[in-house]
Amino acid sequence: MSPEETPTDAVLSVRDLSVSFATRQGVVRAVDGLSFDVGTKEVLGIVGESGSGKSVAMYSMLGLVRDANVSISGSVRFEGREILGLSDTEMQSVRGGEVGMIFQDPMTALTPVYTVGWQIVEQLRAHNDMTKKAAYVRATELLAEVGIPDPKSRVNHYPHEFSGGMRQRVVIAMALSCNPKLLIADEPTTALDVTTQAQILDLMGRLQAIHGSSIVIITHDMGVIAEIAHRVVVMYAGRPAEIGPELDVVRSARHPYTWGLLGAVPRADVKTRRLVTIPGNAVSPLEVPTGCAFAPRCQYRMDICAERPPLRGARDHLDACWLSDEQRLEIRSTVTVRGES
Amino acid sequence: MSDDVLLRATDVVKSFASRRRVKGIRSLNTAVNGVSLEVKRGETLGIVGESGCGKSTLARCLVQLLPVTSGHVEFNGVELTTLSRRQLRPHRREMQLVFQDPYASLNPRRTVGDIVADPMRINKIGSDAEINARVRELFQTVGLDPTALRRYPHEFSGGQRQRIGIARSLSLNPSLVVADEPVSALDVSVQAQVLNLMTDLQDEFKLTYLFIAHDLGVVRHVSDRVGVMYLGEIVELGEAEALYETPLHPYTEALLSVVPELNDTDAPRRERIIISGDVPDPADRPTGCSFHPRCPVATDLCTTEKPDFVELRPGRFVACHHPRNLEAVAPIT
Ligand SMILES: Nc1ncnc2c1ncn2[C@@H]1O[C@H](COP(=O)(O)OP(=O)(O)OP(=O)(O)O)[C@@H](O)[C@H]1O
Ligand SMILES: Nc1ncnc2c1ncn2[C@@H]1O[C@H](COP(=O)(O)OP(=O)(O)OP(=O)(O)O)[C@@H](O)[C@H]1O
Ligand code: SF4
Ligand SMILES: [Mg+2]
Ligand SMILES: [Mg+2]
Repeated sequence: MSPEETPTDAVLSVRDLSVSFATRQGVVRAVDGLSFDVGTKEVLGIVGESGSGKSVAMYSMLGLVRDANVSISGSVRFEGREILGLSDTEMQSVRGGEVGMIFQDPMTALTPVYTVGWQIVEQLRAHNDMTKKAAYVRATELLAEVGIPDPKSRVNHYPHEFSGGMRQRVVIAMALSCNPKLLIADEPTTALDVTTQAQILDLMGRLQAIHGSSIVIITHDMGVIAEIAHRVVVMYAGRPAEIGPELDVVRSARHPYTWGLLGAVPRADVKTRRLVTIPGNAVSPLEVPTGCAFAPRCQYRMDICAERPPLRGARDHLDACWLSDEQRLEIRSTVTVRGES
Repeated sequence: MSDDVLLRATDVVKSFASRRRVKGIRSLNTAVNGVSLEVKRGETLGIVGESGCGKSTLARCLVQLLPVTSGHVEFNGVELTTLSRRQLRPHRREMQLVFQDPYASLNPRRTVGDIVADPMRINKIGSDAEINARVRELFQTVGLDPTALRRYPHEFSGGQRQRIGIARSLSLNPSLVVADEPVSALDVSVQAQVLNLMTDLQDEFKLTYLFIAHDLGVVRHVSDRVGVMYLGEIVELGEAEALYETPLHPYTEALLSVVPELNDTDAPRRERIIISGDVPDPADRPTGCSFHPRCPVATDLCTTEKPDFVELRPGRFVACHHPRNLEAVAPIT
């Protein structure tokens, strides 16, 4: 499936999304030509390093970029309906209703001055025709569902009375309150410890199985992607470098940036020898090269890399790199692409 | 003290007055609760544990940035905890810290050249010219351009700032570098550059590292031996590869089982052991084994009796009444 075709079962279909900010220093191209689909019950991971445009992509899709100097283009279809450019009120019924959101910092979604119960009730009543009493009962059920102990009393507590992991559970309860078709989670576990992260990922996986929602999860951790995503988009400098099924991308990555990313991770499960490093620093979003964005750091750079490589590939595994299949085979056979021993 | 031990901690305890009241009494937050360990010359001892388990507090106690509440710290055979500030000074030079946050740990109003030179100036080591030459050399050593000496920290990226912090820590030729989450704030590709640099510097200058991090992969990668901390205590300590392959403490076992893995080989994934609940408040420490409220194999014994930290297998110390996987590790003969 190429990104030009819209598969009929796509819950979310993003085409050529571009987001830029006019700043005093110049134009920041935060997202530049992002296309992907999310199928029914599919978990799509978006991975990339800091500043690669993951959050801006998500915020712009949901009309959450509050910056007068932003310009957004492209198309974002949710269940076939274009949602880019919807009015604030139209968007509000999408957000928190059919599309649930989870943020890195749970306090983004919670108000410190109200009890968590009150906040879930408000959310439920904004999107459903429900009495206050019924909404409270449902809120308590939701807290139980996300594994908050003693939900009947916890429903009356304030966010600061919960630990970080518990707060994230509350946010997940809110995100799920309206049975969303799609859940978008921006680094939902980045601020959490590994054991808490495991609890939250496990919870998200179980709830997804029950509710059948599709999930877009944004993270900088390839491990998290490998654990829960079916497909993955690797972003670099606002652009998709590689898109494909999780197993294919992790085991037979095609883009030199993905090779670097996989080889740079010190592993807890196997002994790693010297880590693969990507020379240099991330590009400044003010000076993204016109050709391949990765070219200045790429050790396989060729003359043609001064032109922007198209996103292309076989079947569902696409990448934006000028290397030929033969070149890649040769590179992969001669160098350690991963930091394995 | 045997010659190959550079630093030895014995029963180190550090308590802070807590704002919390437990059963009406203002309680003590025992951030470090009786830690004993040895750091051998030339090795990297990794300390891993989750947020708030006391890693930074332990590090500060070991280098005498914080006075211990009780216990002993010997460095090069000298007991440090009873020394006066002045007596400490020559030993302090031998132990340098690298901090987590490259942004907060560098003075924004000083040039990076001055930042690296300051420890030498304060300790009056060499003439101005000698110090200048040494700063240039250090910049080269950590892979920074010496022409950037007069720039300010904000002009550098996170990875470059961490290199500046490392250059500063090396300026007095320390024998021990205590690195507290030195790469946690960095992106993976930059993190890999800094980790490789630290490995190279260790070889070049025969450094001993105490390397603290919450990232289990990072700690496995850099460490010769690893100590696992939970609620202010080291619950397991041993040779890194053996500990990661066959954890004996139930907490280590659970922790390692839930690290997200790439699953890039056909080897089956470790079965996840998801421990429930949150880490208890160190001001309201559980009775018996501190891990018992969350431990999947706890028994009544664990709720009442605190397990000793003992060498269960060669070089492997564990504090647990019911250690796991014992059959998989050869016993002490
Ligand atoms: N309002 C804005 N004005 C100008 N630039 C912006 C604005 N918002 C974001 N950017 C820039 O857009 C780029 C992408 O940012 P974004 O937050 O999407 O990155 P990210 O991939 O989510 O990173 P992280 O992993 O750190 O969260 C960054 O360079 C950022 O500085
Ligand atoms: N100066 C202080 N005064 C009071 N309590 C403190 C102080 N420093 C640390 N603590 C407490 O000691 C405990 C251990 O904190 P510490 O910073 O050592 O943990 P850590 O393992 O380094 O955590 P992190 O991974 O978040 O850095 C915590 O409960 C903390 O609140
Ligand atoms: S297109 Fe060229 S520069 Fe870009 S990743 Fe491929 S080989 Fe490297
Ligand atoms: Mg982000
Ligand atoms: Mg710390």
